[in-house]
Amino acid sequence: MNGTPDFSRQDSGTASRDKELELTFRDPAGELRLIAGCALRRIRPPAEEETEAFLASPLRKSLEQSGDLIPSKVAEPGSHPSIASGELWLEHPRLDPISYPWEWTTAQWRAAAELTLRVASQAIDAGWTLKDATPLNILFAGPRPILVDVLSFERRDPHSTVWLAYGQFVRTFLLPLVAARHLNWPLRATLFERDGYEPRQIYEALPRWRRLDHYLLDVVTLATLFERPGPKRAGSKQSPSTKEPSLATHLLQKRIARLGKQIRHAAGERGHSQWSHYEQSARHYQPTDVEEKQQFVKSVLARCRPERVLDIGANTGTYSLLAADAGAKVVALDSDSAALEELWRTAATQNKPITVLVANIARPTPAAGWRNREHFSLLDRLTGDFDLVLMLAVIHHLILREQLPLTHIAGLCAGLSQRWLLLEWVPPTDPMFQEWLRGRDDLYGHLTEDDLTHAFAPHFAVVDHARLGNGRVLLLFDRI
Amino acid sequence: MNRMKLLHIFPVVLILLGAAMVFERPAYAYADPGTGLLAVQAAGSALVATGWYLRRKIYSFFRSDDSPRTDTEERSAIARGEDSQSQ
Repeated sequence: MNGTPDFSRQDSGTASRDKELELTFRDPAGELRLIAGCALRRIRPPAEEETEAFLASPLRKSLEQSGDLIPSKVAEPGSHPSIASGELWLEHPRLDPISYPWEWTTAQWRAAAELTLRVASQAIDAGWTLKDATPLNILFAGPRPILVDVLSFERRDPHSTVWLAYGQFVRTFLLPLVAARHLNWPLRATLFERDGYEPRQIYEALPRWRRLDHYLLDVVTLATLFERPGPKRAGSKQSPSTKEPSLATHLLQKRIARLGKQIRHAAGERGHSQWSHYEQSARHYQPTDVEEKQQFVKSVLARCRPERVLDIGANTGTYSLLAADAGAKVVALDSDSAALEELWRTAATQNKPITVLVANIARPTPAAGWRNREHFSLLDRLTGDFDLVLMLAVIHHLILREQLPLTHIAGLCAGLSQRWLLLEWVPPTDPMFQEWLRGRDDLYGHLTEDDLTHAFAPHFAVVDHARLGNGRVLLLFDRI
Repeated sequence: MNRMKLLHIFPVVLILLGAAMVFERPAYAYADPGTGLLAVQAAGSALVATGWYLRRKIYSFFRSDDSPRTDTEERSAIARGEDSQSQ
């Protein structure tokens, strides 16, 4: 399934609305289609026997029970027009929204990599191997990573000492983390690198002394020095092997264990940013304002009873967590990876149904990949999918930093929310507004709450509001 | 005899390690295994295999069938309820 998205609600977006999508086109073993309520995967005849053997294996049962692998069941012939008699189709639940690796925090990268290694290790012990090891085969269900490609498994030669997906794991998981840690190459840049980074790219960018780092010596320096450009020699199809299966297993497990150490080292320390301690350091909020705001948000959640909430500018997730506690599935969006990582850790520890996406709503993640149809844009994945959108302390960012007119912001909100919008109005007198105004009083200094409600009037009507002690106003809008 | 085996293993390992680095082998995979990273795997395997063989040889050197048990081993066996005469 390398390089293909799985199980998202793509049909809710403009790119996929009103049509059935075939999402897998690289993997010769199968194809994937999304229909209402589930994902259908066709297994092509050459891969049928291997897939059926995997489905019948204790390994598959164990991985599904632990939640590490997406559940599968054989689709009944005739249950969907696509399924012809005699064909093998699998049915999977859909996970949404899809989150691509370039929208993950560092901690999510680590969690996804460790899941892949854990599954690979269990597969080796069970006589199987992962032929694919790429972050594109992992989705997050809430905060929890899940391997979604059942076609990644194949029976392993018990004598082989090579994990063929090792190179792919290093390029697509390890080296992006190494580049982020040592070179400050952002993880979001992986949007442009379907197959990750080549060792040589990292080798040439690293300082000389860093190339000898214990954790990088093999995967960067030696891999670059051993590289052989040009056509491969014809020869035996035998891959490196040993006569002793127990030695082969030992070698493979040692390799997995070393990769685990390298991933943990590359993922490094917890990151900090201007925004990751924003709530503790915000001077324009008195404790009473915070209390008032939280009470109003709770009352809105109790009134609206949303099933799906989008929290734009979620920061460390105070209000995402309130929404999750009120029973909603939450998608938390923020452009600050360090702040969102705090939320992901909390959600993962407390098992809250919160999916975090590192993205900027003003410059949303574009569609990418082959013909711009392989990976869907952020708005395609989010549009029309929520019954409540939270936009708390975000409006002044959009007005002053992104220079967006209020009418355009209203249009965006109308596209995202099917029903409710809770927006925090930040007046020009607010210290944060003033900080970013920077002499542009003529352009923005006159904006009022009335300008806001007027701009939103074509889409929304105000049904409730709360004025905080610091001058900010919380407005609950309902769709017209 | 075991000592001789121990001495012979070092040149074998060195040859294996060198061979792993010198000879590129074709790999047949869905994902590109990468030439450099494949060689790294082979070299790493040679090193780990060395430790694996050495551990086994050292273990058998100290625990050959005809060698008597140490006092500690004897006590451990008795504690496990094994009959020392049957060993």
